[in-house]
Amino acid sequence: MIQLRGVSKQFGKRWAVRELDLSVPRGEIFGLLGHNGAGKSTAIGMMLGQVWPTTGELRICGHDITRDRAKALHRVGAIFETPVFYDYLSGWKNLQILSHYTAPTPPERIKKIVEWVGLTGREHDKVSKYSHGMRTRLALAQALLPDPELLILDEPSDGLDPEGIHEMRLTIQRLQKELGLTILLSSHLLNEVELLCTRIAVLNQGKKVFEGTLADAKQTKQWVRLKVGDFAKATVSLQSEKLITDTRNGSLVALADGVKIDALIRRLVAQDIPVFEVAQEEETLESFYLNLMQDSRAKPQELKS
Amino acid sequence: MFLLQLRSELAKLFGKKRTYIGFGAFLLSQNVMLLAFRYSNWEKGTARLLEGNGYVATEFISTLTVAVLMLIPQILLLMPLYVMLVGGDLVAKEAEDGTLRMILSRPISRFRLLFTKWLTGVIFAAILVVSLGAMALFFARCWFEWKGMFIFIPIPGGQPIFNVMSAGEGLKYYALAHVLLAVNACTMLSLAFMFSCFNMKPAAATILALSFLFLSVVMEGMPFFEDWKEFALTHHFRAWILVFAKPMPLAQIAEALCVLAGVNVTAFVIGATHFHMRDIKS
Repeated sequence: MIQLRGVSKQFGKRWAVRELDLSVPRGEIFGLLGHNGAGKSTAIGMMLGQVWPTTGELRICGHDITRDRAKALHRVGAIFETPVFYDYLSGWKNLQILSHYTAPTPPERIKKIVEWVGLTGREHDKVSKYSHGMRTRLALAQALLPDPELLILDEPSDGLDPEGIHEMRLTIQRLQKELGLTILLSSHLLNEVELLCTRIAVLNQGKKVFEGTLADAKQTKQWVRLKVGDFAKATVSLQSEKLITDTRNGSLVALADGVKIDALIRRLVAQDIPVFEVAQEEETLESFYLNLMQDSRAKPQELKS
Repeated sequence: MFLLQLRSELAKLFGKKRTYIGFGAFLLSQNVMLLAFRYSNWEKGTARLLEGNGYVATEFISTLTVAVLMLIPQILLLMPLYVMLVGGDLVAKEAEDGTLRMILSRPISRFRLLFTKWLTGVIFAAILVVSLGAMALFFARCWFEWKGMFIFIPIPGGQPIFNVMSAGEGLKYYALAHVLLAVNACTMLSLAFMFSCFNMKPAAATILALSFLFLSVVMEGMPFFEDWKEFALTHHFRAWILVFAKPMPLAQIAEALCVLAGVNVTAFVIGATHFHMRDIKS
């Protein structure tokens, strides 16, 4: 549904996105992660034909977005971080107006969508009277109007209270199950991404630093919590025997491929290092993400030195 | 589909309260001017001018005469302001509010969106001019009789327009003058619209367009630019006055219309080209 090949975007001297390759297959909920300014919104802007790529090719629903925008976006819906509407008009009128930029939409379809998002009874009120949650529902309604195959959600839970976030999560799941939509979800909320997405891509300073399934993200390294008499001495010893590949936070070690915990303990005992606790550490998306950011920050510094 | 999009743009424009500020301002200023004409030396001065040229003043101090007198200051001051206020809002306000991003996530081309917006602005400008003329006639009729029309409009650096005509003939020329005034209003709107297509605040687009007009007026008035006054946009805005001249200088009016049409197209093309190249970001 979405295919990006070697996509870059430069604003002045700054590269917002660099050599981005991305592939979102049909029917998937794909998460796009990254800190503020990582290039997520620019990438989404390019996918929607709002931002011109400096280099690269973007295909949405099989069509080149820069050359065939109308066909590419014909069945695409999008929601942006802060839902904005014509506040002086009713929700219904807003939906009518926005539908006219895609295709003529019968009132029955608008009514159905209004019901689906749970705005029935309030659709003829002015949007200025809507709460943030209602605006988000209206944003979802406008995104669903063109009967989309692909939904692009840029920080849809931004500004919502915990109840609203929960509701949005359930709605996204419903959208995929009931309507079979492909969803690209850009978010800061790692917990949301973990609960919703099947695959993720992580951007850092405009570059993709990871793409894969959530399982891949969690199984990149097997971490073990180690409480020993002298952690520094223990890790030097384990590294010299190539039993571990990495350390973290002064208490975690990453096992080398094929190494089991018992080999670690045997080596430590042999070296006369007291062992108080050894436990396998469950990798969460958050720990994976933070580690990834740390690694990608460290790499340029290593190159400099 | 295009008509539906145009209807949507019109609904957005006429759904906003600020769109009606111009109509309200015209309403107020016309009544103030009527009172000033009636109760100051303005009416007496007009009567003296008529009598000095051998006409019976009571036959020509009429609805049409007063309506045109009221129009002049409003066209010079209020019309550019309100038309450019709307023109400057057309694209820049949507970009500022963030609704433009939502529209452009839909399969409408940027050119088509701009053309629809520009056409909406043109319709607004035409409605504003027609309302201005109709209101002037209505309020003038409340105070003055329906009789012959007298026109005296001084033109800076040129011969003043002086003419008297029957009410029927006067109404015909009054209507024609409004067609030309609508072209002026469209040109003003196109200028503000062009600036609005650039990455700037709506107020900045309006101010830039007004400054452009102001510069044109100043340059036209400077003796140094006497030979180049035809390059000043405001010079061509006077075509509506020429309608009342006897004989009517058709060639000059046609020339002005061609220049204004050219300015409209140029402003639209510059605006559309820049808008097409622009990145739309939040």
